[in-house]
Amino acid sequence: MKTEPKIVAFLCNWCAYAGADLAGVSRISYPPNIRVIRVMCSGRVDPAFIVGAFEMGADGVFVGGCHPGDCHYISGNLEAEKRIKNTQRLLSMIGLGPERLRLEWISASEGERFAQVITEFTENLRKLGPNPFKAQVNAKSHTDMKKVISEAIKKTNVQYCLECGKCSASCPISKVNNAFSPRRVVERTLLGFEEKVLSGTDVWTCLTCFLCSERCPSDVRFPEFIRDCRRVASQKVMEELCAHRGIPTTLSRMMTNPKIKQDRMDWLPSGAKISARGDTLYFVGCIPYFDVIFENFNLELLKIPQSVVKILNKVGIEPAMLSNEKCCGHDLLWTGDLENFEKLAKTNATDLKKTRATKIVTSCPECYRTFKKDYPEVLGTFDFDVLHISEFLSELIDKGKLKFDAKLSTKVVYHDPCRLGRHMGVYEPPRKVITSIPGVKLLEMPRNRENAICCGVSAFMSCNKYSKEVRADRLKEAKATGADLLVTTCPHCQIHWKCLATEKLPTSSDSVSMDMQDFAVLAAEALH
Amino acid sequence: MESSEEVPRIGVFVCHCGINIGGVVDVPEVVEYSKTLPGVAYAEGNLYTCSSEGISKIKEGIAKHNLNRVIVASCTPRTHEPLFRAACEEAGVNRYLFEMANIRDQCSWAHMHEPEKATEKAKDLIRMAAAKARLLKPLEEPEIDVTPSALVIGGGISGMTSALCLANQGFKVYIVEKEPKLGGMLRNLNKLYPNMEDASEGLSQIAKRMKSNKKIKVLTSAAVKQVKGFIGNFEVTVEKANGKAMNFEVGTIIVATGATVFEPVGMYGYGEHENVITQLQLEQLLKKGQLKKPKKVVMIQCVGAREEKGRTYCSRICCTTALKNAMLIKEKCPDTDIYILFRDLQAYGTHYEDLHRMAQGKGIKFIKYVLEKPPQVIRGENGRLMVNVCHALLDEQVKISSDLVVLSTPLIQQESAKELSQMLKVPLGPDGFFFEAHVKLRPIDFATDGIYVCGTAHSPKDIAESLSQALGVASRAAIPMAVKRLKVEAITAVVDENLCSGCGTCVKLCPYNAIQKDEKGIARVTSVVCKGCGTCAASCPERAITMQHFTDEQIMAQALAALGRCVA
Amino acid sequence: MRAHKSVLVIGGGIAGIQASLDLANRGLKVYLVERTPSIGGRMAQLDKTFPTMDCSMCILAPKMIEVLRHPNITLLTYSEIEGVTGSVGGFKVKVLKKPRFIDENKCTGCGECAQYCPTEVPNEFDMSLGIRKAIYIPFPQAVPLKYAIDEANCIKCGLCERTCKAQAVDLDQEPETINLNVGAIILATGFELFDIKSISEYGYGKYKDVLSSLEFERLICASGPTGGHLLRLSDGRIPTRVAFIQCVGSRSLRGGVRFCSSSCCVYATKEAILIREHNPECEVYIFYNELKVFGKGFQDFVKRARDEWGVKYVRALPGEVMENPETRDLTISYEDTEENMTKSMTVDLVVLCPALVPRVTNKELAGILGLELDEYGFFKSRDILYAPVDTNKQGIFICGYCQGPKDIPESVAQASGAAAKAAEAIQLTKNKGVR
Repeated sequence: MKTEPKIVAFLCNWCAYAGADLAGVSRISYPPNIRVIRVMCSGRVDPAFIVGAFEMGADGVFVGGCHPGDCHYISGNLEAEKRIKNTQRLLSMIGLGPERLRLEWISASEGERFAQVITEFTENLRKLGPNPFKAQVNAKSHTDMKKVISEAIKKTNVQYCLECGKCSASCPISKVNNAFSPRRVVERTLLGFEEKVLSGTDVWTCLTCFLCSERCPSDVRFPEFIRDCRRVASQKVMEELCAHRGIPTTLSRMMTNPKIKQDRMDWLPSGAKISARGDTLYFVGCIPYFDVIFENFNLELLKIPQSVVKILNKVGIEPAMLSNEKCCGHDLLWTGDLENFEKLAKTNATDLKKTRATKIVTSCPECYRTFKKDYPEVLGTFDFDVLHISEFLSELIDKGKLKFDAKLSTKVVYHDPCRLGRHMGVYEPPRKVITSIPGVKLLEMPRNRENAICCGVSAFMSCNKYSKEVRADRLKEAKATGADLLVTTCPHCQIHWKCLATEKLPTSSDSVSMDMQDFAVLAAEALH
Repeated sequence: MESSEEVPRIGVFVCHCGINIGGVVDVPEVVEYSKTLPGVAYAEGNLYTCSSEGISKIKEGIAKHNLNRVIVASCTPRTHEPLFRAACEEAGVNRYLFEMANIRDQCSWAHMHEPEKATEKAKDLIRMAAAKARLLKPLEEPEIDVTPSALVIGGGISGMTSALCLANQGFKVYIVEKEPKLGGMLRNLNKLYPNMEDASEGLSQIAKRMKSNKKIKVLTSAAVKQVKGFIGNFEVTVEKANGKAMNFEVGTIIVATGATVFEPVGMYGYGEHENVITQLQLEQLLKKGQLKKPKKVVMIQCVGAREEKGRTYCSRICCTTALKNAMLIKEKCPDTDIYILFRDLQAYGTHYEDLHRMAQGKGIKFIKYVLEKPPQVIRGENGRLMVNVCHALLDEQVKISSDLVVLSTPLIQQESAKELSQMLKVPLGPDGFFFEAHVKLRPIDFATDGIYVCGTAHSPKDIAESLSQALGVASRAAIPMAVKRLKVEAITAVVDENLCSGCGTCVKLCPYNAIQKDEKGIARVTSVVCKGCGTCAASCPERAITMQHFTDEQIMAQALAALGRCVA
Repeated sequence: MRAHKSVLVIGGGIAGIQASLDLANRGLKVYLVERTPSIGGRMAQLDKTFPTMDCSMCILAPKMIEVLRHPNITLLTYSEIEGVTGSVGGFKVKVLKKPRFIDENKCTGCGECAQYCPTEVPNEFDMSLGIRKAIYIPFPQAVPLKYAIDEANCIKCGLCERTCKAQAVDLDQEPETINLNVGAIILATGFELFDIKSISEYGYGKYKDVLSSLEFERLICASGPTGGHLLRLSDGRIPTRVAFIQCVGSRSLRGGVRFCSSSCCVYATKEAILIREHNPECEVYIFYNELKVFGKGFQDFVKRARDEWGVKYVRALPGEVMENPETRDLTISYEDTEENMTKSMTVDLVVLCPALVPRVTNKELAGILGLELDEYGFFKSRDILYAPVDTNKQGIFICGYCQGPKDIPESVAQASGAAAKAAEAIQLTKNKGVR
């Protein structure tokens, strides 16, 4: 039996909603598949509403606004146009196709046109078929909160806490926000006040950067404890605190659907050599691919995978790649969505097996940690040799197979990302590669390696004024070294710093503006 | 975070609206369904919820069942939302704890032939409204002062009449006219029916009263360059021809910019033959006494009006103008033959009907033609024109050898209107004239508060009709200015300073410049300027902006409810 | 010179309502006097309004309720003007409040009384096509929602008094004289229908299935006597072919009135569309003389009726309407202009669009107020061009149909205009006193 498409529509009060009313007043019929949500202006429509609607199974989303020039709020509709175009790109990336999202300008007197457009849209959706994500709608399984917390307390050594306070003294957030204290969170939990912790903002404020754990005498792995708490903490609070409208995690969740079909390799330059199968697989990660979300920052994140492929090709490797690459699930795991994380882990494991790869190379520290540490834990086995690109290149340099032939006369300061550094202990390989580039001088910040300070945001959570201070602090530190270029291996760090740099700060922006580059891009530049 | 909030007790009132809804949607079924929704404490059906009986039932329901949220499932919120909100308020429920489900205009009326699907849709729409209602918060409406002065754009008869009436009621008026003299279209006209006095007489009378009224500031050779602000507090910039700019504040704005006459270039030989002219040009000739005694005059109606596509409207006054001018020619030259070629003669009401009869009495001939077979004007002998017309009743070709062909063309919107409409954010309708808030019951208001329209800027009409409207807008504009204080919409954006990271995106985006950064760099919204569009809320990277009454949570809840998912 | 900051509005139709609301909203006190037990006027009787096809009651009801609830408006229904003295700024008005025989403070509008009342009377609101009781409210959305006893038909059985739970029936109620002091007066008395019977060739009053347009509106209206089902009154059959005849009594130099009622062409179009909506199988013909499409949106409306709804326009006014006594079918004879021959058409139902004329009671009112009427009985404008809402008397203004033929948007705009002039008059009179 053919099911009818379900359309969620956002219509602006002054034009499109009135046009829809006029269609009714004029008794012009159109298919009843549409459910209208009235907003004052099409500019109110947040891409998160659209992506969320698709995640929840909408077959089509319709946005109706005033004709350009006629917006009741002057320019709201123009903003809507920009956002919708970006969202359409996002949707095609995830394999949903831009035709499922339609933006139309409909004036208050165009009742007939409204009916016509809706009829057409409904017809198109019938032809396109149902939203492939529809099947995924099942209720979240109930988690025993007390059980999760008591197990976490044991597993992460929280029970051995001595209340020494080193954690709070080290935490970069505690330094700027007195209300947050890892020590107090631990104590509250041990005393049985976990409800207070789980319903508050503290559980989402932690950057999970591991600085506290690095120094804790009792080896309390506080970030992992927080991670487990998040499984049973208030989703409502989380939704309030997440940045970029929660779209990155929404996309990750959508990728758990086996029906999803993406084309993740349209950024490959002509002449690049890759294959569907091979011994070495290059896993790109989501952030460079979905850079449309961060368009305003002009980061050109796609240069990262382009650079990696260039380098691999240069050393004679045609890496296997997944055209339907799915999110590693890092953010889902770290925001408490264990269920969907496991789904992604299983899917990825299956997809990776098909490529016959034995080695996985990734340019993202978060994917690296997730594949190397978390997948084996959650899947039981994960038979792949996981390497970060810096490790891979460092090995090649050791074997004499990689030699940089271009000279880059520049002073570089390297920042250790949390996931590569403290989480996985990878400090030297990036430095080795950087210092192998002729002309490059490597400088160090006072707080480096296991003492490096987190860029300031994790899993797109709690991006607020405290986080801003942490970021500004780190950038000032980088600048103070006198380096021309700040290099890191994590695209997330770049996004968070760039976000800060594009804002108009109360403090002088000069002190925090700095040229940044990804490690792989720097390395590729050094190769002709 | 949630302990201080009350438990929602929603009352759902489903309207039959006679048979408008009830005839398509199964209202009893929908009422029963509503009772099953989380948060709904009570549900009932009404015949006409907007009647005084229906309103009483809402108030009774609130009291009896201790309701703290109300949903009315009926027509479009664009008509009755204020009425139901007021009813809630009178019963002690904050007016913003009210939501509507549009199960008529966007359901029963649009899906008349699919009653089961319409019923299902109605249920979905109510479920969506309930999802939002559960999350609604009470809001207060701030009050603003109203500047007791008005701006009248256009110094024709309509603009001047409005200005005088407002000034006499005690308000200061600025009247802006682009020409060097006041008067508008009236300055081009000859004699006016039924008095048959010179247009200039009436004009000079009113212009005198204008000049002597100390409350009116007349700005001629001037144009409005910019308008900022909102009702009660418009900031106007006017530029004079000499380049000087004037800034002032007004509480209300009246658009009385008039219309212009369509030039039928290329139609019926206009522009080709010198004795094919428009009615306006005929007025000029008659006024200056330059009309040479024509032997046969042919007037063609509906030239460039009532077309199949394009200018589809009837310009109302062309037929009566033709009749009047025909009478004037006949008066001067009783032996002249006059033919009026028409499609439907728009001589309506009392004295225009009389004019038609009088014209018939004077022997003016009327020939009906149909749209499909328009007359032709070709060059005849001795510089005369040959007019061929197919007589609709007789279905015969009638040839008239004429020495003057007068084309009755429609009034059209001015070129400058597009710019003005964008400046004031008021719409133009499909026929190009300004589009009112509601065709029947708010004919001279714009949907934007504080701005009104009258005269031919609204649609073609005669002087008496223009003046009725001009006086009408004087009443409409006087209301906020007489009361001096206005309650402003409560639906505004609020920034959570704990989440704001000072990025400035919202400041850049707000079309009304309603957001500024304070000394700490945190964005702050000036609520009286905020229009509640929500563009800022949708772009804030930190989600620090709450768009009251249209929050992210509320909209997402509606979307989820639409897809069958209820979030408790 | 003192100027009362209050205005008397005579007539509770849409024009009176609009004028009252404008004045009340700007802080002036308004006394709205309405002859019948409820405000609403003609608009309350319509099903839909052209050209938007809005449900008439739906857009009218909120305004009626606003009037009821407005602190500045005193609603005097079932009342008439007895006398007026004074001049602008200080009119002394005597209002006669007719007895409803119901205590308005106690009546809840529950309707129990009407259930028991034994007397059935033709319902004026439904153009006598339906029934009401002697104790009645004119229509379900009446404002105020209070019952009234029609003295002329009441048999004084007392059943209502016994059954009323609120004890609101007061059979001894006397007419009340209310004295008002107002600064200005606005007339908005609307129109009535021309006496169609005098056009005997169309058989109105003789044949059951020849209706006036207002009777048609009541039949097609969901809250009307047939619940919105269009049926033949003779045999209850659903009509398959309906003919509208325009200009019945209008534009007439012999019998009838000379003027054009201005809105009939468009409202007939509206009614035709309603028929086609209700029953797409039913053929609809509009027999017209001149199609008056001069208003905003009218031409497009007629085009839609023709092109999308299949309404057929015939430029011919029928000579006569004859009824077949057995089948009750009606035969119309007309001259078909395309085929140049006289034809006859058999239809099931004929709707006549009569002239809309000023009320005969205008004459009396004009006498009381010292106003002039024009030759047709409309209140005369001081200057037909430059002072359309002014009368020969300072401080007294006119608006709506009683000033001249017009439709609803024009009435509403003109009502606001009269309100502006009333407010202006009060202000100017006050200014004179200050000097």
